Amino acid sequence: MDLLSLRDNYLQQRIMLCFNGPISRSLIEEIGHALRNYLNSQSAAPSAAMDVFAVYIEMTQNIRHYARQQGYGDQDATATLAVARDAEGHYVVSAGNLVEEADGRRLVEAVEGLAGLDAGELKRAYKQQLRRPRDEAAPSGAGLGLIDMARKSSRPLEAKLQPLPSGRSFFSLTATI
Amino acid sequence: MSQDLNLPGSVSTPEIQSDWQAGRLSMQGDSYPENSFDLFSQVIDWVEAFLERESRPLALALELVYLNTSSVKAMMDIFDLLEDAHQAGREVDVVWHYDPRNDRIAELAEEFKEDCTFPFAIRPREVPA
Repeated sequence: MDLLSLRDNYLQQRIMLCFNGPISRSLIEEIGHALRNYLNSQSAAPSAAMDVFAVYIEMTQNIRHYARQQGYGDQDATATLAVARDAEGHYVVSAGNLVEEADGRRLVEAVEGLAGLDAGELKRAYKQQLRRPRDEAAPSGAGLGLIDMARKSSRPLEAKLQPLPSGRSFFSLTATI
Repeated sequence: MSQDLNLPGSVSTPEIQSDWQAGRLSMQGDSYPENSFDLFSQVIDWVEAFLERESRPLALALELVYLNTSSVKAMMDIFDLLEDAHQAGREVDVVWHYDPRNDRIAELAEEFKEDCTFPFAIRPREVPA
């Protein structure tokens, strides 16, 4: 195992915290705890720390919900997560997971649809989605969470879908706080 | 008289206490369970039962710190029940205390308040110097 190149890679991409593997409810809590402590130790502004934590929770819980809904086994119910700080000092939260291609396309479209909305429009979309009955709330279940993340980001969310040889695709989402 | 709630709370769930006699429901802490509906359905049931069976005022005392979106949805359901009761002439009110260093929770509380016409106070807690 080449830990040094892993380390260099993290340093280069300014990654403060990352995880790759099967994600459980308790792991989400544990990593979230570590993330909050880290942000506190960095004297991050409390509002920024809260936004980073909130985006992290929505991303990882969306991944858990999706894997459960699809009936994925442990091997496929994995998440790749990284929290970094960009050159301008913004916190960047990224998470990725395996998805069916059609679901991934829908998600990318939903993210692209939010990109053109200003703060007022995002707030309206959020309140509308909040009032939608639970069972109609987006087939992916990710509707409200995506809008929430977009509202907490200083730049539009970025979504990427990459096909894999297995037939599934890797969906990744990045939020810059 | 319905069974009162007294939930201890956990890393991802708030402490919840209800007091049927006093007409009071309190919640403190973080709320981000994976299935918020499981947690909040018992709270919603308690509020519904109280509003149906009693005619006394109901007060909510909140010190929630962080809510994931599914908890936000559940809280909106609770505030909707209070709003309906208020429209029907019942006395209901919410007081939400927050740590003034964390303005995000005040912003969230403000957004809930926008959709409510009953008394809804959002108060910073005094922070020890």
